[in-house]
Amino acid sequence: MATRSNAVGKLIFIDLVGSVVWFPIWWYTKGLQKVVGSFVRAIQYRSQSYALRIWIKNFFVPMYGQYDWTGRLISVFMRMVVLIGRLIALAIEALIYAVGVAAWIVAPALFLIVGVLNLLHGAVG
Amino acid sequence: MPKMSKEMIVCQVCNGDPRLSLTCKHCGGAGVGVSSSVGFLVWDEPIDDFSIGFRSFRRKAFTAIHLTILIIAMTTLVLFAWQVDALKDLSVVQTMTFWVSGRWFVTLFWFGLFLDCFFIFRLFEYTHDSKTLPNWGKTKAMVEKQKVSDLKDFRFSIVLYFSDASRKVIEDAYKVVKSLKRTEITPVALFAAALASRAGGNFMVRLGMPFDKVKGPIARILMSESGGAPPIALSRDSKHVLALAFLSAYDLNRKTVDVMDIFLQSFSASTHLQEALDQLGFPPEHVLRVGEWMRLRDLMREDHDRFAALAALKPKSIMNRAMTARQTLLLDRFSEDLTLAARNGYLAPIVGRGGVMDELLRAIESGRRSVALVGPNGVGKAAIIEQLARRMVEEDVPPELFDKRLVTIHIPQVIAAGDPTLAAERFLAILREVNMSGNIILVMHGIESLTGTGTGGPMDLAEMLANELENGYLLTIVTTTPDSWTRYIERRTLAAKLIKVMVPEMSVEETLKVLMVRSGFIEYQNKVFFSYAALEKAATLALRYLHDRAAPENALNVIREAAVLARKSRGEDTFVTAEDVAKVVHDKSNIPVEAVTQSETQKLLNMEDHLHTRVIGQDQAVKAVSQALRRARAELREGKRPIANFLFLGPTGVGKTELAKALAAEYFSNEESMIRLDMSEYQDAGSVTRMIGAAGDEHGGLLTEAVRHNPFTVVLLDEIEKAHPDILNLFLQVMDDGRLTDGIGRTVDFTNILLIATSNAGSSFIQSEISNGASIEVITTGLLERELKSIFRPEFLNRFDGIIVFKPLTMDDMIQIAWLMVNGVAERLEAQKGIIFRAEDPAVEALASAGYDPSFGARPLRRVIQNRIDNKLADLILRGEVGRKDTIVLQEDGSMHVKKAKMV
Repeated sequence: MATRSNAVGKLIFIDLVGSVVWFPIWWYTKGLQKVVGSFVRAIQYRSQSYALRIWIKNFFVPMYGQYDWTGRLISVFMRMVVLIGRLIALAIEALIYAVGVAAWIVAPALFLIVGVLNLLHGAVG
Repeated sequence: MPKMSKEMIVCQVCNGDPRLSLTCKHCGGAGVGVSSSVGFLVWDEPIDDFSIGFRSFRRKAFTAIHLTILIIAMTTLVLFAWQVDALKDLSVVQTMTFWVSGRWFVTLFWFGLFLDCFFIFRLFEYTHDSKTLPNWGKTKAMVEKQKVSDLKDFRFSIVLYFSDASRKVIEDAYKVVKSLKRTEITPVALFAAALASRAGGNFMVRLGMPFDKVKGPIARILMSESGGAPPIALSRDSKHVLALAFLSAYDLNRKTVDVMDIFLQSFSASTHLQEALDQLGFPPEHVLRVGEWMRLRDLMREDHDRFAALAALKPKSIMNRAMTARQTLLLDRFSEDLTLAARNGYLAPIVGRGGVMDELLRAIESGRRSVALVGPNGVGKAAIIEQLARRMVEEDVPPELFDKRLVTIHIPQVIAAGDPTLAAERFLAILREVNMSGNIILVMHGIESLTGTGTGGPMDLAEMLANELENGYLLTIVTTTPDSWTRYIERRTLAAKLIKVMVPEMSVEETLKVLMVRSGFIEYQNKVFFSYAALEKAATLALRYLHDRAAPENALNVIREAAVLARKSRGEDTFVTAEDVAKVVHDKSNIPVEAVTQSETQKLLNMEDHLHTRVIGQDQAVKAVSQALRRARAELREGKRPIANFLFLGPTGVGKTELAKALAAEYFSNEESMIRLDMSEYQDAGSVTRMIGAAGDEHGGLLTEAVRHNPFTVVLLDEIEKAHPDILNLFLQVMDDGRLTDGIGRTVDFTNILLIATSNAGSSFIQSEISNGASIEVITTGLLERELKSIFRPEFLNRFDGIIVFKPLTMDDMIQIAWLMVNGVAERLEAQKGIIFRAEDPAVEALASAGYDPSFGARPLRRVIQNRIDNKLADLILRGEVGRKDTIVLQEDGSMHVKKAKMV
């Protein structure tokens, strides 16, 4: 069983000091995984609510039970329009999430580098 | 008593010793563990002052650090904004060079942002003390898929999966042990700490267990069990308990291991504790059930959140997501959309009935498609369909039901047209709409009303439905009762198109679970709280006494009414007790189910004396029925037979019928409520129908209807030897099973009746034996072995709890009976005419001897009294020789002397 000194040591070296070292590693592994995961889930939920799979499966099934040939024609056309519309909406949402992921990747590195640059510049300047 | 099922495995080096294991390198401090599919579960953290203090220090230190980081980060941003605002030329901000200019506040700004990132990281990684359990948030199907039976043997520390509250329970258990100067944290200590927590408080309130009452006994157990040298450590059993708590939470897909998980496992682990609480009036089953009730409430709450997220995906209108459906204007007028109701949260989830639901889904998948749920009224057929609607919302159903709506159609409204042709047309149009729309599963309750049985007219929509089902486009789920199924559906074409799924009545245990789940809503509506005793009482009493509706609906109705009763009598925020429930059941059934009161106890204990005020002599008979009643009220009898079955034998006029009447008057509300059947009227085979009713006859039978309406009463079968043998066979079943199925197919409960059959058979034998001086025992044996054999079948006689021989009356008995009758005359006269009537002793003796006839018992006495008293009184009153307040005295010679009242 972990002894007392172990516990104190873990607190100081792993939870406090260690966390500074752990931070960048976490950010680009576990953290990134979390962010990407949540975006993927959001996209999945959205595509479920757009019922894309159901629409593709029923592409040639006439809407509103209109089984005559005009009904079928209009229905296929409408389905195409709606599908394209929903795909575009989904793509835009995915793009926004992708930007979010990119921001997550860039953020700490960018902040640190520009910060250090400023520091150097200030020192130089 | 409950036992632990998962074996604990002990470290070979330290043998799981609580203190040795602290430093054992072999097991790494665990001592013991449990094998599971998650891994080898161990609790490997010491519980002592240092670890408790350290945990709390760590939490506070982290909060301080996070606050500091946040403040610094915010300060940098504020400083930056302030400095930018102070700039003369704001346009420089738009230049790239500004952001890398090296100005101190710009540098601070960037580092501030970097610090924000660090803060986010800390927030994710260091603010949650407990981890979530591996199965959390997964649907049942996902868990099923990953289920592996092999045990994994890698070490799995369970410490971090305990919620804050449950960690606190473990720490409190340590404090309890320390304050009692003990050295081991045993399961009892864990239980005590759990009991003292908030969840434990909730538990005690529901069980009606005052903490003060259990505190002493629990402390005594704690004082008696843990010895050994310090330091204080978790005992082997406690580590086992914690591992089992983890497993049960894991199996229930919970988020973390919670207080109730520890509570239930620690209770199951200690037989001492179970015995102690049992002695205090809290049997282990009750404790476990209340614990599970509390956990069930948590689970329902967690489940609700999951359902709400999935429900948002379901369309808000009648259109399916593929948009292939079409408008159903006519259907909408006569129906309700269950999937929409479920989506909007109007349908409550159910518990149990997993078997029926599986069968229902299997039947739908099988391809013959349409299903009939067959079960008695109140068994929950509608609830099963509502649960299906909920599962359709979650899309946790076979592909046939994806993206469909479940619509229940109101048959009475459809056929209410009056004109059968119009109704048929309308029904057909609705079915066509359903066919065209293609996304509708039709639900029809009470399918028998389609057969037109109620109206007797030519309207037969059942054939029409069968026809449509034949086409194969339509998927329906219909419900009906077993009786209607046999009578109206089974032999029709419709039955061949339906797959029958039986919905059986629920047991007490299952009903109790339903009450636990549904009580929350009733509590909310009435602003009251249910105690466990109330729910348990409702389940047991409703199943035993209320047979109009099946379980669980009868029990649900009882708790609904009991909630209103409690609120009205004691106001809001009160507890519904077992007494409230008993009162409701009593009012509904007329059966005394409340706890026996003091006055009733006295009445029961003195029952013989009470009965003897009307029945003279016959001590053995009076004693036998009194004892039967006492057994029944003390709940000592088997619940499945009538209170008692007696056969009274003896010559006519000795008090057989009178005893039955006296009993009805004394104990079963009143004499009139007694059900008396003269068996001489039931001598042919056809009389069975009169007694139990015939199929198709709504009025039912004389006996079955009477008992259905008044289940707590005396049933008197006069002159049983005259009944047809088929009638006796009916009573065989009543006496054995306590129930009878009437002609309509309803089961009538006979478990609360006192069955008394009387017979004159063997009277002459009794009389001759008595005059020979034989004892009652000898006479009874003689009757059973010889006299009755030719009249009753042995299995019939065997069903009686007592065959009681009534002795012929002696002259002494006659005098007492004469007194009873004379007193009866006097009471009537005073009450009706205000005239006082007295009789001299010799006058009454003369009456008795005039009315004494050994072969007719006391019956001639009534005639004598009529002739000698009633007739003369009538003359006196008519002649106006007697007025109010006058006194009439009956003298030895039979004459009547009138004493005029003094004038005031």
